[in-house]
Amino acid sequence: MAYWPHWLVVVVVAPLVGAVLAPVVGRGRPKVVALWALAAMGVTSLAALNLIVRVAEDGPFSYDMGGWEPPVGIELRFDEFGASVGIICLLGMLALLFSYRYAEHTLPTERVPYYYSLMLLNLTGLIGFVVTGDLFNLFVFMEILSLSGYALVAVSGERIAEMAAFKYLVMGAVSSLLVLFSIGVLYSVTGSLNMADVAARLGDWGARSPAMLALAGLSLGFMVKAAIFPVHIWLPDAHAIAPSPVSAILSGLVVKVGVLGMLRVYQIFYAAETLDLTGLNTLLVWLGAISIVMGAFFAIFQEDVKMMLAYSTISNVGYIMMGLGLASSYGLIGATVHVFNHALIKATLFLSAGAMIYRTGYRTLHDLRGVGKAMPITTIALSIGAISIVGIPPTAGFLCKWYIALGAFQADQPFFGVALVFGALFIFVYYIRMVNAFYFQPATHPEIAEVSEAPLSMLVPVIILATLCLVMGILGRIPLSFIEPAVTRMLAPLGG
Amino acid sequence: MESQLTTSVLVPLAFLLPILGAVLVVPLTRESPRARGVMLGVCVAATAGIAVSFVPGVLDGTVYETYLLQLTPRIWMYLRVDALGALFGLTASVLWLLALVYSLGYMADEHRQSRYYAFFMLCLAWTMGVAYAGNLLTFLIFYELFSILTYPLVVHEETPDAMAAGTKYIIYILIGGSLVLLAVVFTFFLAGDQTLTTAGILDAGMDHTSLLVIFWCFVAGFGVKAAIMPLHGWVPDAHPAAPAPFSATLSGIMVAAGCFGIMRAVFNVFGVELLAELDVMRWLAYLAAITVVVAALLAVNQDNLKRRLAYSTISQMGYVTLGVALLGEEATAGALVHVANHAFMKGTLFLCAGLLIKQVGLRNVSQLAGIARRMPVTMAAFAVAALGMIGTPPLAGFVSKWYLGLGMLDVDQPLYLAVLLGGALLAAIYLLPIVYAAYFKEPAPLAERSERTGREAPLTMLVPLVVAAALTVVLGAAAAVPGMPLSLARLAAQVVFGG
Repeated sequence: MAYWPHWLVVVVVAPLVGAVLAPVVGRGRPKVVALWALAAMGVTSLAALNLIVRVAEDGPFSYDMGGWEPPVGIELRFDEFGASVGIICLLGMLALLFSYRYAEHTLPTERVPYYYSLMLLNLTGLIGFVVTGDLFNLFVFMEILSLSGYALVAVSGERIAEMAAFKYLVMGAVSSLLVLFSIGVLYSVTGSLNMADVAARLGDWGARSPAMLALAGLSLGFMVKAAIFPVHIWLPDAHAIAPSPVSAILSGLVVKVGVLGMLRVYQIFYAAETLDLTGLNTLLVWLGAISIVMGAFFAIFQEDVKMMLAYSTISNVGYIMMGLGLASSYGLIGATVHVFNHALIKATLFLSAGAMIYRTGYRTLHDLRGVGKAMPITTIALSIGAISIVGIPPTAGFLCKWYIALGAFQADQPFFGVALVFGALFIFVYYIRMVNAFYFQPATHPEIAEVSEAPLSMLVPVIILATLCLVMGILGRIPLSFIEPAVTRMLAPLGG
Repeated sequence: MESQLTTSVLVPLAFLLPILGAVLVVPLTRESPRARGVMLGVCVAATAGIAVSFVPGVLDGTVYETYLLQLTPRIWMYLRVDALGALFGLTASVLWLLALVYSLGYMADEHRQSRYYAFFMLCLAWTMGVAYAGNLLTFLIFYELFSILTYPLVVHEETPDAMAAGTKYIIYILIGGSLVLLAVVFTFFLAGDQTLTTAGILDAGMDHTSLLVIFWCFVAGFGVKAAIMPLHGWVPDAHPAAPAPFSATLSGIMVAAGCFGIMRAVFNVFGVELLAELDVMRWLAYLAAITVVVAALLAVNQDNLKRRLAYSTISQMGYVTLGVALLGEEATAGALVHVANHAFMKGTLFLCAGLLIKQVGLRNVSQLAGIARRMPVTMAAFAVAALGMIGTPPLAGFVSKWYLGLGMLDVDQPLYLAVLLGGALLAAIYLLPIVYAAYFKEPAPLAERSERTGREAPLTMLVPLVVAAALTVVLGAAAAVPGMPLSLARLAAQVVFGG
């Protein structure tokens, strides 16, 4: 066996080791621990890059832990969806770099090492979740990232943060329980935990009710994680109150665990061909459409910038769920591509908003008026993010709108294409409010004009992300060349 | 006519140069405003030069094209200069050059100049992209960018009025843009990615309900921009709010871009034969005719000069839509040439209106008595453009109306001649009193006038104004010279109708 599949282990273990050692390395030395965390993510990113090049050249591959072959052993699997590890590493690096100044500023010094430790743990969970080929490990990694997520929301130690984290914890725990229960059901029916194996054995199994039960449990569990309407209620507070780099990770990536989980579920059940998924698809499409509109509707009435961004995440997950539920190849491509692109865009928005809050100390639109002149680069980055998220061509957000609308026509449900396009108009309303406040309205606090541009450690991630928001739209064929074969393979059992 | 394809690197330069200009604005503003002015002038002049350089080739039947980027595995960003696009690009870049030179004087003491210039340049870039887009997705990209990134120019003044106008603008434009997006998606779904040629993308074998839905989505979507009644609401508010040089391009080019979109949809997406079969164009013609007359009637009542001119734009763009909707070769040529003619005539009028605001602080028609004594050149230009707008021979407006009228007879719809003449009569009613008052009425006593007692404007503003006015004469008197917009318009119409 060639040496390179071992990188698959490195991708999971490197951030984990980094996380465990962070409090030891960085006790009382917040700068050192930041560098340590960056180094750990650097190693991970190199490994991930290597793997992505491999998957682009040779297609999907597996790695059997300790040489035990599945279904007995633990399988790590790297396919085109696994290429999202690349995005996770990129956002992880940028969020950690952003934290370099931010964490020191917002957190008590003794907590900073734990903050980095939690961030790395969270990223470990995300990476593991994507590359595992085994249902139980899927659950384990999901718990790693959820638990570290709860702690990260509460990390600032403010009372309101604790409340938000608690709400997040309760909803998250219920969803985890549902997922665990469903995995148990699948195991008892098929006697296997390996996903490919479960799919194969489910196909042979006659009884449909346990499979239905498992499907329902998994779907509901992942929907809560994805914060789709009406189980979104934990999201706005948690994402708005967390420190901004955490918000970027939570909104950009952690929410997508629900989506990627749904994708995995679909992969299993499409391949198994035992159940008719039309009902679930219809539910997802409708919930997606409602989420788009409701997310936008709530966001319009917010004053707090980060709260708006948090509600915007609900709308965007709505897009993705709609794409999944349409179950047409275009729709699925749109949904998958938006998993990546929304991560980039939302990270741009949260990090630039974070930079504004860091410099000015204000966080409502009213207070932040006139910030565009004081922090031109940050505000331009935020505007690019805003243009991108409402899907103006040729930015990154447009691809999703284009493909999902095409998917709606393809699935013979053009109504949802219309709903999608006009739902985006609502989203535009509050981003216009934001841009108006930053650029065109007279400053509420005159001293805001004296604020200087964000420090370099924040500016660099923001600029990189904003550039990517543009580039990923113009060079959309790069992510699409990964996604199209994966989607085609996934839908192959449907004959589409 | 045989057309031959030639790959040309100049095509993308037509929109990359203005983008470069926009990028250079910020660093140069710190250096010196003078250097910035020179740089911007060079960029726009070069863009106009490129647009002009396409004309001889296009008249010989060449189509310039460039494959720029692969956006998705199935769609390229593709630019293509045909007669229609060359005409629109030429008009836009030349008018932009005049408006830019005028801006250098007009904006000299305004706030946030670098923002203004940057977006002014970007706006030109997207317009050139719209003109030269070779497929629907490329068109959509530039059209949306152009619609949305205009917002900072509309609200530039940052007054409550401007903000309100901006909100109205963006809501109208976004709804229109969404409809266009839907139409483009639906077209792509039915027919895939296809070049915009006169063969049409859709064909009669497709489901007719779908075709009708696509057609009305296109018309309603572009109709918002083209200010077809009742979708015109943003126009009368946005024009008075925007700075004058931008009003000129807003009226001359932006609104016309909506008409241009309708033309692309009619001639290149559907094709005239399919539309004749679907029998929808007469409804569009009715709407356009109503727009011509009602907007002109509303214009008569406006006291704010820029608002009156805005209603006039709505009315004039109605002519263009009407010409397209008649589906005849002569009428189409008239509609196309009117896009160019109207751009310079209305540009002149808005530049005059800007000078009245800047030099003497007058915004209303009722205040203009005797103003020609203080600003003879400005008002002379105004008078020329106003006469052109009414359609007096040998000015520009006459040429377009001549062809529109011929076209109406050509397709056996002489009743529309009443609309044509009615619109011209109403144009006389809402424009000539201004000229009359300016020249022949006694000026009001000084105390009643604004405190600013300016005189004729500096040359940076006066020269572009005079050039624009001169162009309205040249476009009329020398209309038949090859290379003039009329030759391009006739060629485009000929290609469309397979003559």
